[in-house]
Parts: sequence; C-alpha cells; structure tokens
Amino acid sequence: MRVELEIWRQASQTAKGAFERHVVDDATPEMSLMELLDRLNDQIVGQGDEAIQFESDCREGVCGACGVTVNDDPHGPVPNTPSCRQHLRSFGEVRKLRIEPLRSGAFPVIRDLVVDRSSLDRVIRAGGHVDVAAGTAPGADSLRIPYEEAELSLDFAACIGCGACVAACPNGSAHLFGGSKLAHLALIPHGEQERGRRAEAITETLDAEFGPCSTYGECVKVCPAGIPLSAVAAVHKERLRGVFRGRDN
Amino acid sequence: MPSDTVMAMTELKEAAARSQRRAPSSFALKQVMAITGIIFVAFVVIHMIGNLKVYAGEDSFNTYAAWLREVGYPLIPKQGILWALRVTLAVSLVLHMASAITLWARGRRARGRHRRRGMKGFSATSARAMLPGGVVIFVFIVVHLLDLTIGAIVQSGTYQGPEADGTVHAYANLVASFSRPWMAIFYALTMVIIAFHVEHGLRTVLQDLGATGRRFRKLWTILGGIVALAIVLGNAAIPILVLTGVIA
Amino acid sequence: MKLFRRKPQPKPAPPRRSRPGLDARVPEGDPLTAWERRQAEYRLVSPANRRKMTVIVVGTGLAGAGAAAALGELGYNVECFTFHDAPRRAHSVAAQGGINAARAKKVDGDSISRFVTDTVRGGDFRGREADVVRLATESVRVIDHMQAIGAPFAREYGGQLATRSFGGVQVSRTYYTRGQTGQQLQIAGAQALLRQVERGTVNLHTRTEMLDLIVADGRAQGIVTRDLVTGELRTWTGHAVVLATGGYGSVYFHSTLAMNSNATATWRAHRRGAHFASPSFVQFHPTALPVSSHWQSKTILMSESLRNDGRIWVPKRADDERAPGDIPEDERDYYLERRYPAYGNLTPRDIASRAARTEIEAGRGVGPLKNSVYLDFRDAIARLGRDVIASRYGNLFDMYADVTGEDPYEVPMRIAPGAHFTMGGLWSDYDQMTSMPGLFVGGEAGNNYHGANRLGANSLLSACVDGWFTLPLAVPNYLADHAGQPVLSPDAPEAKAALKDVRRRTERFLRGGKTRPATFHRRLGEILYRGCGVSRDERGLNLALKEVRELREEFWRDVHVAGTGDRLNQELEKAGRVADFLELAELMVQDALARTESCGAHFREEFVLPDGEAQRDDERWCSVSAWETTESGRHVLHEEPLEFELVPLQVRNYK
Repeated sequence: MRVELEIWRQASQTAKGAFERHVVDDATPEMSLMELLDRLNDQIVGQGDEAIQFESDCREGVCGACGVTVNDDPHGPVPNTPSCRQHLRSFGEVRKLRIEPLRSGAFPVIRDLVVDRSSLDRVIRAGGHVDVAAGTAPGADSLRIPYEEAELSLDFAACIGCGACVAACPNGSAHLFGGSKLAHLALIPHGEQERGRRAEAITETLDAEFGPCSTYGECVKVCPAGIPLSAVAAVHKERLRGVFRGRDN
Repeated sequence: MPSDTVMAMTELKEAAARSQRRAPSSFALKQVMAITGIIFVAFVVIHMIGNLKVYAGEDSFNTYAAWLREVGYPLIPKQGILWALRVTLAVSLVLHMASAITLWARGRRARGRHRRRGMKGFSATSARAMLPGGVVIFVFIVVHLLDLTIGAIVQSGTYQGPEADGTVHAYANLVASFSRPWMAIFYALTMVIIAFHVEHGLRTVLQDLGATGRRFRKLWTILGGIVALAIVLGNAAIPILVLTGVIA
Repeated sequence: MKLFRRKPQPKPAPPRRSRPGLDARVPEGDPLTAWERRQAEYRLVSPANRRKMTVIVVGTGLAGAGAAAALGELGYNVECFTFHDAPRRAHSVAAQGGINAARAKKVDGDSISRFVTDTVRGGDFRGREADVVRLATESVRVIDHMQAIGAPFAREYGGQLATRSFGGVQVSRTYYTRGQTGQQLQIAGAQALLRQVERGTVNLHTRTEMLDLIVADGRAQGIVTRDLVTGELRTWTGHAVVLATGGYGSVYFHSTLAMNSNATATWRAHRRGAHFASPSFVQFHPTALPVSSHWQSKTILMSESLRNDGRIWVPKRADDERAPGDIPEDERDYYLERRYPAYGNLTPRDIASRAARTEIEAGRGVGPLKNSVYLDFRDAIARLGRDVIASRYGNLFDMYADVTGEDPYEVPMRIAPGAHFTMGGLWSDYDQMTSMPGLFVGGEAGNNYHGANRLGANSLLSACVDGWFTLPLAVPNYLADHAGQPVLSPDAPEAKAALKDVRRRTERFLRGGKTRPATFHRRLGEILYRGCGVSRDERGLNLALKEVRELREEFWRDVHVAGTGDRLNQELEKAGRVADFLELAELMVQDALARTESCGAHFREEFVLPDGEAQRDDERWCSVSAWETTESGRHVLHEEPLEFELVPLQVRNYK
C-alpha cells in the first residue's frame, strides 16, 4: 500500500529543522512504524541521500529507546503502545503520516527524529535509587511484602523511560515518570530510610528541568507501560510527606 | 581537547539546569493553588447555598444578607466576619492567580518551541480552559462586586446600598440586575465556566495534595462532578428565573 | 557427594593446536569451597590507593552496571561507557522469564550441588564446573541485593518471595517479576549505577561506543571510543578494562536480540589478543516468531510455556498450500509427538529447534515464506475452553495478534527457531580475566558458565553475579599488582596507534560504494542460518565459510555509508558493526567445523547417535575451544581441558 510521509529532518541540535515529503509505495499492513522507516531509509539511501536518523532497539516495547510523534500523537495513533509496536494495519484508513521527534523543551533534537532524553536520567540520578552497597542487603525473604503491595509497586516500576509522557504534556511535565519511580520505591520497604530525601531530590529535579502538571491527562493516554495518573499524585504525596516530617525518611 | 570542551559544556548545561531551581518552586505554587482553590470552592458552595434563600422570598433573602453583615455580633464587630472573609478571599485570589500565571509560563517554557497539538478528550479540554476560564471568572468577580456589592459602573438603575439601620435591599438589587438580559446571560454562562473550572480544579487538587488511594480518587472525582453540577444548577437558575419572570 | 575425577586423556594432536592447554587458574581442591578460598587469596588495594586507580567498564547492562557501581562504591575511579542514550536501555532489559537462584528455601530438594548438576548437564559438559559452583553460591545473595536496590520480585500471599520452575529443572528456583524480570533487574542496576554517578565515583559516558582496545606492555590499558553525537574519536586509559557488552546473536540478522546489539567491543578486543571461546555455540529458541515479510526487523521471542498446551505440526505433504483449518487430521504430522512420544511437544529447546528445521528444509514449512511450523491450540481450546487458555496465555496471544495480525484463537500460531543467546564469548579464566591481562569480561560477553547450551533463567543470574559479586573482587586482585603505577597516558604511542587504526577504518567506510551495511548484514544472516544454524554439516560449513569470505570482500569493496563521520550517523555505526560481524562469522564457522562432535546447541549432522541424539566426543572434545586470530587473520585454536568433579561426565543414551 502507498503511504505518504512528512518526516522531520534536522541536521543538528542547532540547525533549523523542516518536514520533508516522501512516499513509500510498497508499505505492508504488518509493518511497524520502525520498519516503515527502515524501508524508507533504504529508498532514501538508494536515491543518494542520507538516512533518516531515528532510535529504536529492542523492538518489543520494553527498552524505551524508540519514540516518534505521528500526526501529533507521541508514539503514534494507537494508545498506550510504543512506536515499535504500532503497526500500519492498526491505523485504519490513515495513509498520511507526519512523523516528528518527541517534542519537549527538555528533549533537544540531536538529529532528525533522535532527541536527547538525558534529563530523565538526571531525575533518577538525583534520587531514584536505594542506598545499598553490594553485599550489605538484608535477606530478601526476611522482609515480608504483601502480594498486593509488590504487585502495585510493579505497576509503577513498569515504566520503560521512553519519555512519551513528557512529549504528550503541553506543559512538558515529567510527573508521570518521576511519580512512577517514587511510587515504585515507596511501595517496597527497601530504602524507606531515605524516602524524604528521595522525594525532595526528585521533585526538585522535576521542577528544574520539566514543567508543572496541570492534569491534562495526556500522559496516561500514551504511556506504553500503562502507568496510572496516580503516579502524579505520588510525586506530591511523597514531597508533602517529606515536608511535614522534615526528616530523611 | 574538543571532547573535554563538549563535556565541560554538558556539565555547564547540567549545572545551569540545576540552578534553574526557581523560587518559589512549582511544587510550592501547586500547593498554593490547591489550598486557595479549595477555599474558593468552599466559598462558592456556601455562597450558592445562601443564594438558594432567593427561592424563599424577598424577606428571607434580605434577612440572610443582613445577617451576613452582623454574624458574631457583639462578640465580633459588625461586618467583622464579612471583612475577614473578604480579606481571605482577596489574598487567595491574588495568590491563586499569581501562581497560575507563573506555572503557565513555566509550562510553556518547559514545553519549548513546538506546542502540543491535537489534544482531544474531556480532561485535556477542561485543562486547556483553566487559564482563559480563570480570566473570565476574574472579570466576573469584578463585575459581580461592582454590580451587587459596591454598586458602581455596572449596577442597575435602581441599585440601593445597605441602610444605616442595617436594612438591605439585596433581593431588589438582584432582581433589578438580572432583569437586564445581557447581565443575566453573563451570570449564567460564567456559572457554567465556574463549574468546569471547579470540576477540573478539584481533580487537580487530588493530584497536588497527593491522594493516591484508588477508591478515594474515584469518590472525590464523583463528588467534584456533583459539586460542579450543583453550582450550575443552583446559581445559574437564578438569573434565568429572574429573566423569565419566575422570580420578581 | 559422589566425586568423579576425570583422568587426563591422551589427545590426538589436531592441526594448528598449541600446547599445553589453556590454564583457567581454577583453585585446587574441593570445588564446593573453591570460591571461598579464592576470595581469601585475593589481594586488596588500600582505600587510599583506590582513588588513584581507574577502571574502564564498557556496557551498562546487568553485568556492566553492576561492576561499575560496585567498583565505584569501593572507591575506584570508574569510567563507564554505553552506546545507548541511557544506561537502562541495555538489552538485559528484554529478558522475560526470570533469574535462577539456588537459595533452596523450599523443601523441594534444591541445593547448590543440584544447581551445579542442572547447569553443567544442561550445558552438555562444555562449561567450566568450578565457575558454575561460584554462580550457584553467589546466586543466594544476588536475589537479596537486586531486591534491595529496587527490583520488586513477585511475592506469595504470605509476603515471601515467589518462585517457579523453569525449563527442564525439577525444582522451583526461578525468581521473577511478572514477564519483565530482565526489565526490573536492569532498571534496578541502572539506577544503582546512576547513584554512583551522582556520588561522583563513576563517570558515565552515554552515546559513546567503544571501537578498539588499547594494549600496552601486553596489558589492556584503555579503549578508543567514538562519540556518537559529535563523531569525535578519542582514547581513554585505565589500569583495567571490563567488557560487559553482551552477546553476538544479532550476527544472524534476524534474532531475538535488539537492533543495536553487536559484537564490536568483544571482537575488537579479540583482534588485540583476547581469545574468543566457542563462537559457534549459539542457542536457537524454538518458539520465536518466523520472518513473514522482507522488512520484518526481528524474530520476537514467544514464551516457551506455550508448548505446554500447543501442539506442533506441519502438513504431511510438502508445499501444501491449504489453509491450516482445511487440512484434515490425518494429513497433519505432529512430528514431535510422533518422534518423541515420551516428551512430545515438550522436548528440550535444541531438539525442538532441530526438528522444526528438518521439517522446514523438507519443504513442509508453512506460512507465506514456508519457513515456520504450526503451534496449534485448537485441541487445548476444545478441551479446556477459550477462557482457560486466555487466562494462561492471554498476553502472549495478544502480542502474537499484535505483531502478526492473526488471531491465535482461530488460526494456529506460526513459530520458527530464532537465534537467541550466545554461549560463546571472550574466553576468561576463573577470575573473569581474558587471555589478555587487565581485560575482564562479564555477562553474555564471556563464555564460562553455560557450556554448549544455556538453561533458562541462568543468563540474568550470570550477568548479575559477574557484575556485582565476581568482578568487584577479581578486578582489585589484578589492580593490586599495579597499585601506585600511573595510568597510561592517553597520548602514549600505543593509544595513538589504536586511535589511528580506528580513524583509518572509519574513513574507509566513508569512501563510498553502493550497498548499505544493513544489506550485507541481512545476507550474512542468511548465510549463517543456512550454514551455521540449528544444525550444521561439513559441506554446509565449508560453503558458508566461502560465502562469508566472499561477502566480506564484497563488503569492503562496495559498502556505502551515506553522510559524514562528524555527527550522529547510524549508517556509519552499522557499518562498523557489520564489518566486525563479517569477521566473527568466519570464526564461528571455523569453530563449528573444527569441533567434530555434536554437543548441546552445536549439532553436527555427521555426529549423531542411531536414535538421532547428539553424539558427544568426550575423548577428543571435552574442552573449551579458545581461538586466537593472528594479525593476518589466521585462526589458531587453543584448548582449555575441562574437568568435572561434582557432576560425572555422563554419556547420554549409550545403550
């Protein structure tokens, strides 16, 4: 089938970008967005031009490397599905795709569809971890964690770090991302000694590098891991808890 | 070494990002908005319940209006409570609006050059309406105060302020004001905007104050909807009923 | 404990074989306490000296992130590299099933020695037993540690850790977090690494790819990297280098691996002198999705558990064009049930893969490209009902429908063997040090544990153990020898020479031909699947050898890399990786040719028992093949003889 594409091309972080038109005549319904770009690149290079740069790695929806904006939707038209698992057959009659990078002030474009998402790692780096040196951990069986709590913690820990939530947010907020980490770690007993410090560090980084949350709810529509909106509440819950306790834990 | 330069630049950028820790923090501003927002919702609900006295007739409504000015007397001077409320509300208003505008600007900056397009759905629409809606509500507050409290500029031709003996003409002022169709429509439409503002605001409060419990979140969201609906039904009905001559 | 010491056998001298055998420096004496004794022997570096010692860690997967974080925590100056934009993206993230640990908390008879038995036997006696004992011993605290740094393992209702049984093991020792165990472990590891970055003990370099190893005074002392964003090539030096860069299964083009997985780091290290062990030992997963169209980028893995209820079959007639539903029962061949009546559809991975390959090659394959077999749930749905099947496999069925657009409740799934895990890798001794002093290896990049076949849920374990509990002990032991020595200058002649080599190579790619690197990769994959795949024979291997060499020549003549080297250029990255795959592939084929036996995943059709089972040759091949590639590209075989004391060498199916 024939697919008309408008693809964002941008030579470098400082260059001015623009959309470029392409047509793929032999697209097939089972192609994923990434495979469509693979196909297109073969065509483009064959014509003597430079391949479109885009990121993807596992192509199973778990590594979080992929992510493009398709017709204004981060990751693509299928809700809660990473770009690598969006297949053309799910797009209905849509045969015109405008593909651009994940957009946010916190994600500067490196080239074409590749953006710099290191701001997300700075959130984790600031406080998204547990202070345990190798070998000092207590027996994992001696800490009893109720089934429901472990499962709930996993619901939040499922975040793949793709950054689509930020790109979906008109405010460029990363509260869903930050909140998923806070909720994940708050729900297990390890590292509760630093719960307050962690909340402070993470909220401060969220504040410094991303926008505030206004409950648009756009993030949960695109999140491939299905992180619930209560992750955003978790950010403020953890921070408030820290403020009122005024202690590290 | 060019790469050292690159690294140094990255570090500088990171440092700059870190120093962007602006005061007050967005977290603090969100808390201010949540608390002042709750104050407003409480006020609007109480105000609306008071307004219902209009259905009990002129005397009842006027007595209520007069009582508001004297509540707590002699323990508290006349109009004491009223002024305390007015100051609280005015301060809240300033804080709420200042926070809203600051956060809006921060959100725009964080999003960057390429705006989010193609948003659909109720939540996104009402979130988008928060700032323009807030502006309309602010204009409404000014108009409402001028019209029925102060009696200036936009008041009806027959407006009468409170008399020295405590007699008030609230009912007559209200009927006179709402008998002007454009004013009645403005009131009614603003009530719809307030309802959406309150509904979304209450859902945001849930986020800002950190309510993560599944059942509580559901319950609160439903309650928020009910409150919003009650505000429209209870308040917007009055100008319409005046206009249609049911209240006169 | 039943002990079995294998007498040294006189071996016939094969061509190009150096003597004596490689020494893995396994501790003498009781294998069960060897690791404990070795730890006591390890020399230490004083805390004040640690700051002055630099360790380079390449890779941020489970092994790399663990090693970097643990060494940073100990006080060493760690420089850590990943070509990804974030440490969390390393391919450990995609592992699904679980992580084994011989914690033996339940009274189901598990123990360290049972773990060792399972793993050594599973590897068909081609792994190093002593290392497996260490793996089993450290598995106990790996779970404690990974849980503590943030992996929320599944729990029972009582709050204790949940376990399940996994692939061919009779005890329940697999710890898991839903179907995302790798993801949770990887995220926990990456955040532990970022914690050290925040503390300033680790310098993390993202989007930085290692392209060469710097060897000076016969020791690994640094690496050459390319900044993938600016294109800058530069050198980094340290007292030791750790490679934790994963496996090379993506050499097959279509595999269960990630798009960017590659062998460049290990292969470049090999070309600088580190031996490469058992390159032909590749595990093919029987339940991968088949290639259905030209542009399909990978063969996604479907859980093996599907074989519990699905029946595998092909049409009896070759080139049967009918839809599966139109093929009557008596014209279907349930070949696994027919050939292996005792195990049926649950035969081990290698047997199921081989049997499928046989059917496909006989022309009975199904699907548009005739390259798959049916995995049919019709009977299970009829017997148990759709709801039960949905509750067991719902998410897998959804994923299948998502990828293929076919509804597995209505039409049979199509599956095919896909390249999955590489047991081979850089040869290392008991201390995880390669044959190149100062160069250490961890995780799938190494070779020591899994022999000729890896057991399910052992790969996450080996990566975690290497990263958190082996390398942080073994690397300092090596560093103790070099305490007080200054780090090699990044401008030392050896470093500059390596940098120059890389620069010349990069420029060569950019000179221009006509064919994209990806096209060569695809063709290489086809050659390897055909000649050095699920089963091999001498004729096919010789053909593959010729084809690989020809393809490599063509590559250097005709490769076309669009764009320049001074900015992000994924074509250029790909070209370098494919160039290394083309060299590695030759060694894989050589290794498969040289090993004149069948063992585990290495199945030579000439070496088969009358009942079709693999015929191992313990007289000749009870050893690890560790290859050296000379400057001129000649392959020299070194052998490390293997001894088994805890698990007696068993001759399978000798009747």
